[in-house]
Amino acid sequence: MTAEPIRITVTVNGESFREEVPATRSLLDFLRDDLGLTGTKEGCSEGECGACAVILDGRLVDACLIFAAEADGRSVETVEGLADGEELHPLQRTFAAAGAAQCGYCTPGMLMACKSLLDRNPSPTREEVTHGIAGNLCRCTGYGTIIQAVMEAAKES
Amino acid sequence: MKVVGQELPRVEILEKVTGQSVFGADVSPAGRVLHGKMVRSPHPHARITAVRTEGAERLPGVRAVVTAADLPPVHYGNFVRDEEYFARTKVRYVGDRIAAVAAVDEETAEEAARLIEVDYQVLPAVTSGPEAMAPEAPVIHEDHADYWAQPSVENRRGNVCGHKQIMRGDPERGFAEADRIFEHRFHVPMVHQTYIEPHTVLAQFDASGKATVWVPTQAQFPLRAAIAQILRMPMTKVRVIPTEIGGGFGGKISPTIEPAAVALARKARQPVRIVMTRGEDFQGSNPRHPFHLRYKTGVRLDGTITAREIELVLGTGYSAGSGVMISQGAAVRAPGPYRIPNLRIDSYCVYTNTPTCGAYRGPAGPQLTFASESQIDIIARELGIDPVEMRLRNAFEDGDETPAGARLEDVHARETLRKAADVMNERPRPAGENIGRGLAVAHWLVGGMASSAGVKLNEDGTIGILTGVVDLSGASTSLAQIAAEVLGVSLDDVHVRTADTDFAPHSTISAGSQALKSMGSAVLLAAREVKRQIQQVAADKLEADLGDLELDDNKVFVKGSPERAVSLREVGHLALEHERGPIVSTQSVSRLVPHPAVAAHAAEVAVDPETGHVRILRYVAVQDVGTAVNPLSVRGQIEGGVMQGLGQALSEACTFTDGKMDNPNLLDYKIFSALDAPAVETHLIQHPCASGPLGAKGVGEPPIIPPPAVIANAVADAVGVRIHDLPITPEKIVRALKARRQP
Repeated sequence: MTAEPIRITVTVNGESFREEVPATRSLLDFLRDDLGLTGTKEGCSEGECGACAVILDGRLVDACLIFAAEADGRSVETVEGLADGEELHPLQRTFAAAGAAQCGYCTPGMLMACKSLLDRNPSPTREEVTHGIAGNLCRCTGYGTIIQAVMEAAKES
Repeated sequence: MKVVGQELPRVEILEKVTGQSVFGADVSPAGRVLHGKMVRSPHPHARITAVRTEGAERLPGVRAVVTAADLPPVHYGNFVRDEEYFARTKVRYVGDRIAAVAAVDEETAEEAARLIEVDYQVLPAVTSGPEAMAPEAPVIHEDHADYWAQPSVENRRGNVCGHKQIMRGDPERGFAEADRIFEHRFHVPMVHQTYIEPHTVLAQFDASGKATVWVPTQAQFPLRAAIAQILRMPMTKVRVIPTEIGGGFGGKISPTIEPAAVALARKARQPVRIVMTRGEDFQGSNPRHPFHLRYKTGVRLDGTITAREIELVLGTGYSAGSGVMISQGAAVRAPGPYRIPNLRIDSYCVYTNTPTCGAYRGPAGPQLTFASESQIDIIARELGIDPVEMRLRNAFEDGDETPAGARLEDVHARETLRKAADVMNERPRPAGENIGRGLAVAHWLVGGMASSAGVKLNEDGTIGILTGVVDLSGASTSLAQIAAEVLGVSLDDVHVRTADTDFAPHSTISAGSQALKSMGSAVLLAAREVKRQIQQVAADKLEADLGDLELDDNKVFVKGSPERAVSLREVGHLALEHERGPIVSTQSVSRLVPHPAVAAHAAEVAVDPETGHVRILRYVAVQDVGTAVNPLSVRGQIEGGVMQGLGQALSEACTFTDGKMDNPNLLDYKIFSALDAPAVETHLIQHPCASGPLGAKGVGEPPIIPPPAVIANAVADAVGVRIHDLPITPEKIVRALKARRQP
């Protein structure tokens, strides 16, 4: 039933991992189950909610739609790599202060979407932020505090 | 107040922004975890003639298969015991539970689920409430009359599992006194909570026969009782450990997959995890009740309402669930926040072949308010009265009674309503055609449930709070703020822990906007008792009268002589040597007086008459919140509630064809994304409420209630067409505009 395992080397948050994975394993399951990085969340497994968003070689992707094998030789950033040791990323600070995380389940994917946006566009307009998080569903906040947090993080850096 | 009323970040926020919070699927116990999978009915209504599990049991890697044969013959349900966990003789909705399997990996579990063979004799199905009430409708529960039901569940017959009637005054005379009588029908389809974390559970069974269940639940104590009842286990042989919860909105109260996970873990002697797929979650959980509503209202020409006759038909799904309670509550709130002397309200809770609906945030609120507030607008326009004036003329006040006869205090409906209108009117209407404004007002009644909480002083002078309430929307932070306020410390000095069913003092569920009221009242009592104990120890040390001692800045000091002080740290140590011993108190509350919480919203919209697209230009949300314990949390709740309500107004609906849901995914079931979301202008009305802790009112439910009515009224104002059937889609607007052009 299960295909031959594939040997992959993936850099996750700056650390290199060599693992054997089934060909059908998603990047999401690889991160959560094989590496124990459970910060990245599963919301729909269909690429509709953005809870599993991570940055792959600088591009925002839904980890549920990517095979782990596709990440071979590439670099992945997840929520666990956002802070620099004790030093929180500006987005983490502004999310906390603005009340941009309520239940917190969409937060890891949302933070990665916002980081991806700020990496590409350090001083976005409100509209650009809105488009930047359009693929990430949040059912608690109504998005206003999230947009505010991104604008404040952009001001800080 | 120094801590209460401050906009403080949530106490658990660092875990949340670093990905360290442990949600349901993040729990990892000792031992290899099996993958569990439910086997569900593909038919909305069918007799089961055979279930064959041998094929699945023989599949390598399968560790357990459970069906109704593995469970005791238990009927359960809080209001009507009409539910069996696994279907035995009949399935009653697409998604009904037949069996569950556990296997070493997901693929094997899925294969095993496919190998379970079920023979069905398909029966005619009925998915709408009014159709199910028809005499010729297929009967969903033949043995209905034999089921145990609470005495409050009245008039059960056919597919009607409860009918609540309320009469006030003399409706006949009220209509006779009216100058005009208006009658309208409305329909609100089923909508789903759509929390981003799907239902998930992990269950483990130990050698002593005790089950441990890790689950993101809003209701750990009732869930423990339900699992024990369904599996016929002693209650304390079930330990429910609530994890962080990725949104609930009322959808994570009733048991769903938990009993199956426990049954599988018991049979397999290994931990079992079940995670619902998104499609399964849409079809196998507890969404919002579809309503058919008829409102007949008599008015004088000045806009005074003389009578209302209201008929509600609520499709509860395949079991009564909480539908009976919700239909009873709906009857009480149906007339809206108005003083109406003559009322006749009939509220029917009806079985249908759909998922059992549950307590989605503000149960029945959006449906009732859509109908009631749409009609108020229609009447005001017909009479040539300003819609806000008409509402102000009839709004209820302190001393008025609910239709059930409960006296209302701390109402503030007029002020809330006026504020929403004033904020909207601060800016002129933009120029241009097809732009309109609408407003609606609604109330929620915030009760209270039996709750207890423990507060203690640690030896280092910090405060610990032990609760059993799940932090759904900032409760832990607000409880900590209340204790900090009483004990004169900062929020950083208070540590809150939600313990599990084995160790937490019994606490309320996180639902109905009453968690903070119930738990906050218990924490307030416990904190005040801890304060008294601190004063007792400090009084001996300072050789002062207990009554002369004040607490502030982590110290106890003599009123008027701040230099005569002892730190809380020292008191914490002294208490251990003092005759009274460690400082701790657990306090309980029950039966708190209900209070109304009013929300008034207003919107300005632009409607494109060609495409029917509605663009929200402004959205104003005003809410009476009593004392806002944490305005950051309160505003966050309001804005999130507005967006959920706007989804129901404009895009959300669970639709069914032949009993099967058409759109069980996030592409076809459209919740608001950031692109759809308007900025919300939020305003808080704050008057301390006598029945809330430090004056706080419940805030979670009210904001989701007005939006559908607000948008319906704004669209009518913009383009002159009235939509009576949610959601207000572009298609319906275009069709209504066409119909108006070609009569």
